[in-house]
Amino acid sequence: MDLLLTLVSAALIASAIRLTVPILLTALGAVFSERGGVVNIGLEGIMIMGTFGGAAVTLFVARGFPEFTAAHPNIAPLVGILAAAFVGTLFALIHAVVSITFRVNQIISGVTINLLAAGLARFLNILFFRVSTQSPGINGFTPISIPLLRDIPGLAPLAKSVSPVIPVALLLVLIGQWVLRRTRFGLRLRAVGEHPLAADTLGVNVYLMRYLGVLISGALAGMAGGYLAIEQGRGYLEGMTQGRGFIALAAMIFGNWWPLGALGASVLFGYFDAFSLRVVNLRIPYQFITVLPHIATILVLAGFVRRAQMPTADGLPYSKEEE
Amino acid sequence: MSSGARFFLLQIVALLLAILFGALVGSAILLAIHKNPLEVYGLMVRFNLTRADSIGSILYKSTPLILAGLATALSFRVNLFNIGVEGQYYIGAIAAAYVGFAVTGLPRAIHLPLVLLVGVAGGMLWALLPIVLKLRRGAHEVITTIMMNAIAGALVLYLLEPGLLRDPAQAGTPRVRTPDVAPGAQIPSLLPLIHLLGLRVPESSRLNWLLLVGVALCVLFWWILGRWRFGYEVRAVAQNPDAAEGAGIANQRIMFLMFILSGGVAGLVGLSDVLGYFGYYDIDFPKGYGFLGISIALLAKNNPIGVIVAALFFAFLDRGAQGIQVFAGAPREVITILQGLIILAIVVGYELLTRYIRAQRKREAQVTPPLQPVVAPAGAGEGSD
Repeated sequence: MDLLLTLVSAALIASAIRLTVPILLTALGAVFSERGGVVNIGLEGIMIMGTFGGAAVTLFVARGFPEFTAAHPNIAPLVGILAAAFVGTLFALIHAVVSITFRVNQIISGVTINLLAAGLARFLNILFFRVSTQSPGINGFTPISIPLLRDIPGLAPLAKSVSPVIPVALLLVLIGQWVLRRTRFGLRLRAVGEHPLAADTLGVNVYLMRYLGVLISGALAGMAGGYLAIEQGRGYLEGMTQGRGFIALAAMIFGNWWPLGALGASVLFGYFDAFSLRVVNLRIPYQFITVLPHIATILVLAGFVRRAQMPTADGLPYSKEEE
Repeated sequence: MSSGARFFLLQIVALLLAILFGALVGSAILLAIHKNPLEVYGLMVRFNLTRADSIGSILYKSTPLILAGLATALSFRVNLFNIGVEGQYYIGAIAAAYVGFAVTGLPRAIHLPLVLLVGVAGGMLWALLPIVLKLRRGAHEVITTIMMNAIAGALVLYLLEPGLLRDPAQAGTPRVRTPDVAPGAQIPSLLPLIHLLGLRVPESSRLNWLLLVGVALCVLFWWILGRWRFGYEVRAVAQNPDAAEGAGIANQRIMFLMFILSGGVAGLVGLSDVLGYFGYYDIDFPKGYGFLGISIALLAKNNPIGVIVAALFFAFLDRGAQGIQVFAGAPREVITILQGLIILAIVVGYELLTRYIRAQRKREAQVTPPLQPVVAPAGAGEGSD
């Protein structure tokens, strides 16, 4: 009975939604990258850069313009989260140049990005804040409260003090789904991921499309990192991404390479995440809960749940000259 | 000069250029924080090469790196990406620690080989699922091994809960660790041998015999992959799986064996720390060797002998990072960034070189039309592309 109550409590669901956002944004980015045919396992590192960049810029704005920030408390986190997206894009550019232009194996390039990010975030933190593993605290966005929903008894924890990034993330998923399904850009991006040679023959710029896919993934993963640091952690803390970049890849696979699918998977994984924080007194080892997303992903990849349908040319470099 | 020797030379040049690139960007970073790069690099070299404790430290640090690099390289040789070395060594290490403390009263001659084999078995076990799912169900090994890493991390935390493998004697202290392994399961120090060689490495060094095990494994795999029929089959599968299958080589069997061997070597990675240093598995057990192993395999272009050199180089940089932090006041992370940049530069360099070599070969083949079908000389492709 205790267990059942915990499972559906509004507090747990509110916590699950908060934990869903970083996975969701990064998974959405991964969808764009892989739909264009580029595997990006550097998303974890890009997220790390986003956590640092987001926290640092928010702090600089707040310190640089204290009176303005006091009057408009949302501006500093807004600039911070946009900066996180920008830093993510820059980092993704490395992956794009190395894996698309130089055609280095995408896995190798991604792994290298992760190695670089870990060292760089630590170094920059020492440079700016004199300690290696955490930034000073920051203020996030002013929480919003959702009209109508907040008046329903029992749902108040869900509707009150919600981060404004949450509805934005949901909106981005819907836009992402529409872009990939319906727009000319989305169709071209998918064509490039399914059959680059055919797309090239029809006049689609394969390199450009793939660059855009990777850069979008960087912007979204950076933003996810920014959200983690600004809204969840109220500051940068080393290792705060806790492998969520990889979980996001899992959510993308689980969601069958579509934004709406990734949304479903991210909500599920976010729920596991929130649940694992609350099982301490339920005699279930929390480690069993934390690994559920990983086990689920292995099952999906192995086709035990349903066949994973990845883009045909996913992971394969494309060269105009050869073959 | 034969074209093979010329290509080898070009590889060395590419490697040096990558290191130069890393050093130059590193210099820019050092200048930005108002440090003189020449002084910092000079101090690093002096600190590393003129102090006996530095030599001991570099050799100690290189031990897990050699094993992790070799483990990764073995999977890369058959175009499989074992990103799971990280998780495989957690499992190998905790399994070895368990057999190390739970079994007592055995003489070292039996207990030590036993725990080493348990480590190997743990690594193999953790590699088994990804490779079976890859070969049987087409599940991409990169994602499954990443997931297995996370599961290994959680499993180890679970095993260290009270009542399982946690040392009851540590109850009431913040220490979260297994009991001490039996003396017979500890890896002996290498210092007597080192002192015999005339190196005055201080007694505080934890350098142990696993270093020689790692080096021996590298030489062994170099020999197997270069000289045995099995090694020839590995190259054939890596270069052209369809042709290999046509020639009667069972692709799946070769891939399975190489991946499992990769996991087995990975199982040894953590043992220098667990059995040669701490004597127990602790919640703060060093992490990240698996990812460094990927860098080392890339740097070495999957050559087992190259792995030894690359691991020594990384250990050199790591020790140097401590030196510049203490004596030059430069953050050690500069060196971590430098490592990442060197790897980034070298993968691009090798890729361009491989393409250049391919174009050269094509040109040569066009200039002199062969009378017989061209057969690539064994070993020329290094099996990595």
